Formats: sequence, C-alpha cells, structure tokens
Amino acid sequence: MTPGIEPKPRWVWYDDERVLGWGSVILVIVVWELAARISGVSPLYLPRPTQIVVSLIDMFRNGALIVDLGWTLWRIFAGFGLAVVIGTGLGIWIATSFRVRAIADMFIAMLYPLPKVTLIPLLVIWLGTGGPFMLTISFLGAIFPIVINTVLGVRQCDPGLVLAARDLGASAQQIVRRVLLPSAIPSIFAGIRLGLGVSIILVVAAEMVVGKLGLGARLYLSGQILETEQVFAVLIVLATLGIVVTKTQDFIDKKLGRWRLA
Amino acid sequence: MTSPAVAVEIESVGLVFGAQTDAPTVALQDVSCRFEPGKVTALIGPSGCGKSTLLQIARGFLNPTQGRLRFVEIASGTETSRPAMATVWQAFNLFPWLTVLENVAFGLDLAGVPRVERDARARKAIAAVDLNGFENRFPRQLSGGMRQRVGIARALVMEPDVLLLDEPFGALDAQTRLVLQEQLSKLVETSGTTAILVTHSIEEAILLADRIIVMTARPGRVCDQIDVSLPRPRSLATTHEPQYAVLFDRIYGMLRDEVMRAMIIESEGA
Repeated sequence: MTPGIEPKPRWVWYDDERVLGWGSVILVIVVWELAARISGVSPLYLPRPTQIVVSLIDMFRNGALIVDLGWTLWRIFAGFGLAVVIGTGLGIWIATSFRVRAIADMFIAMLYPLPKVTLIPLLVIWLGTGGPFMLTISFLGAIFPIVINTVLGVRQCDPGLVLAARDLGASAQQIVRRVLLPSAIPSIFAGIRLGLGVSIILVVAAEMVVGKLGLGARLYLSGQILETEQVFAVLIVLATLGIVVTKTQDFIDKKLGRWRLA
Repeated sequence: MTSPAVAVEIESVGLVFGAQTDAPTVALQDVSCRFEPGKVTALIGPSGCGKSTLLQIARGFLNPTQGRLRFVEIASGTETSRPAMATVWQAFNLFPWLTVLENVAFGLDLAGVPRVERDARARKAIAAVDLNGFENRFPRQLSGGMRQRVGIARALVMEPDVLLLDEPFGALDAQTRLVLQEQLSKLVETSGTTAILVTHSIEEAILLADRIIVMTARPGRVCDQIDVSLPRPRSLATTHEPQYAVLFDRIYGMLRDEVMRAMIIESEGA
C-alpha cells in the first residue's frame, strides 16, 4: 500500500505485485512445457503441464478425484474441528488452574515434540484403518498447537483487565468468557493455524500408508503404477487446498483482529 | 445513589507482604481514616507509600493483615454491607477488543441490564465525558486523554456509591491532565458520589478534594489530614487564590520530608 500523501507513481508492470507473482508462475509453467517438449523426456518422469491438466480434468470428470477430495476434507476437518473445541477448552482450564497446569505440563512436554506420524502404527493396531483412526490422527495433529497457544494467550492477558472486570462485577466464569478468552483470541488463532497445517499433513500421510480412498491414497497408488500425470494432478489439488485454507484463515484473522490493527 | 449515605472507615489497618519470609515488607502500618459520603477524599504521599494498596483494601481486592474495614450508615450509625464501588485506573484498563460503547456498557451487560437500557445509559455516560461520535471506535484509535474519559464513563455509568480513582491522570501529559481534572471535578460535584482519589499531584488533590490525607513514606501511615474549604466549582483559576498557595506549601512541606525519607529508604533497600 502506498501512503496517500505520496504522488501516485506511474504504473509499470515490473512494479505490480500481482504481475510479478502470477507472471513468474506462468513463466515457470511455459518454460517447463517447452523444455519437456524439446528435450523429449519421458512423461513417466516429467509429464508436460498440458498433460497434467488433461489428466486433472479427466479425474474430476469421472468423479474419482471429487470423492477422494471429499474423504480427505472430511477426515481433516472432523478431527480438526474436535481439536479446536476441546483444545481451546482444555487450554483455558490449564491456564486458569494451577493443579491442572502442573499435571498437563508433563504430558505436553512428553507428547508435543513426538512426531505424530510415529503414532500411526500403534493407532492402526488399536483402531484399525477406518474412520476412528483418521479422526484420531487428525485430532492429535491439531490439538497440541491449539492447547499450547491457548494457554499462552490466556496467561499473557493483562492482569489489569481482569481487575477492571472484577471491579465491574464480573464473576469468575464471566472473567473467563468475557476477558480471558477474547484477549487470547489472536494467540488461539495462531494455534488453530498451526494445528490445521499439521492435521492436513497427518491425514494425507496416513492415507498414503493405509488408505484406499482419499487424496493421499490416490497419490500413493498413482505413484505405484507410474501414472505420473495423476501424481502431479493430486499434488495440484493439495496445493490448491493449502492456498484456500491459508487465505480463508487470513480473512478470518483480519475480521477478528480488527481492534489489533486499528 | 439511591442507597443511604455510607461512610467507608479504615480502622488501624496494617498490611505486611511476605510475612513468612526473611524480609517482610510493611506496606501499611496502623492506618485509620474515614471517607465521608458525598465527599472527595484524596490520598497523597510519596511513591511506594501504599496509597494504591489502601485503595485496593477499600475495594476489597486485598485483605489487610491487621485492622479492619467498616461501612457505616450515617443516619443510623450502624454497620452495613459494602456500598457499590467502581474504579478508574491509572492504566485505563479498557478492553481493547471492545468499542467505546461496549466498554462503557460492559458492567451493565454483566449485571444483565437489557440491551436497550444498557446502550441508552452508556450513551449518556459517553456524552457526559464529551465523547459523542466516538461510540464505535476502539480504544487504540483514541488518545490517552480520550481513553481515560472512556474509563471515567465506564465507572460512572455503574452509578457507584463510591468512586475509586487510582492515579487517574498519572499516565497523561500535563495539559490533558489539567482539562480532565476540571472535567472530573465537575462530574463528581454534580453526581454527588463519594470519591477516593489516589494521586501524587498536590494540585490535583487540592482541586478535586474536600479532604486531603497525607501519607508517610513506607511503611505508610497517616501523616496529616487537611480539609480543603476552597469554594466550588474549582478550576484552573482556583490555583491563583492565596488560600491555594498556603495549602500547597503546607502539603509540599510535609511531602518533601517524606519523599527525602523515601529516597533514603529506597537507596538502603537497594
């Protein structure tokens, strides 16, 4: 954004954010296409962008990719949604109770640094490879960042605000709901953002290992049978999913954080 | 303010922090004073003398280790329950995620006052501190002086029997301070509320208070109590009255000795 006081500079394409961003992506694709055509490299190794797009459209047309996408999204968001609700609640409880904090500290210290993919074998033994397994893996991915950030956010609340609320007659419960929670919102959102990222990674990884349906499974199977265009097509869907999720979070963040930016 | 007039009495109150440790801090020692209903009482003293602590005791957020707090109904002389209190804070303590209107209406909302009445009362309080048109701004969008006016409106909208002012203008620049002192003095006069003002500004104490309690350096004790009989309404012009100068010098004389003593205590403690 240019401040209003400066004279507006003449528009030139090499100073435009969007031209530079999108332009360079298009340039890479064009160079890729040309290089693949000229060198004649086997599409088994590197399919041309046009071939990938054709394959992508085909997969959407016959519905297979839609079904996979649906499964993956459902698995991610079911576990993640549960983690948001439970994680925020648990975080507030840990932050406001000395005893709960002392207990939870140990468990978080043990479990948080553990790469969650290492839990896949154990969870398969306990839960099989169906819905409960996917729900658990997605939940486990998201819950730690959410709990930790909620605790941080609540603990960082200005004690003066708590005192002011007490002065105005707030009960303990009102202080939690009306002061601690809203003041922790930016931090909770940072946790939710991290948590969703981990959920996506874990669900796709779990699908690659055990799934028959879902983007991860599709990716793995396509690789097994050397359908390289399909591998790329799934990657494009995953990348797009990433963009949509990130931009949506940016948007919500901005809405909720109005008072912080002002 | 419909409730009967109640005086707040501090009876030989003492407060020791860390009594179980090797180095207990005596914050307050044998403090006795009385805050009369409908009057403004100022607590003035060197920094660290425990005047803000005394305010927290009066509010009920801190319990004294000795002595007690009493609320006495003036008409009957009997002890009664705690009157409604509201505080204006030095650090404003506004909720940054709420608008001016929502901040002012916060206490009423907690008490379950219906929305229409709540908003109407909040708007009236906002108008009383001359902030019309800023109802939908967030605290960050306001200057320090405006934020404290929101703080004053947020306390006054609760119609407290006792208004507690904890160095309300301590964080403001000198000019803003002057204007707000005049404004607050008018608001307090018209509302007839009991007010306890903690300050380290002699000028502020004289302009706002009916009685000034001067406290000693730590451990805080009552050094002297001075009645201010300057006519109201008081304004900046009041500071040119001969009586003002006499009062100012008298309080400054006491405070200077105490501030020197506080500095010595601090340097020994360091």
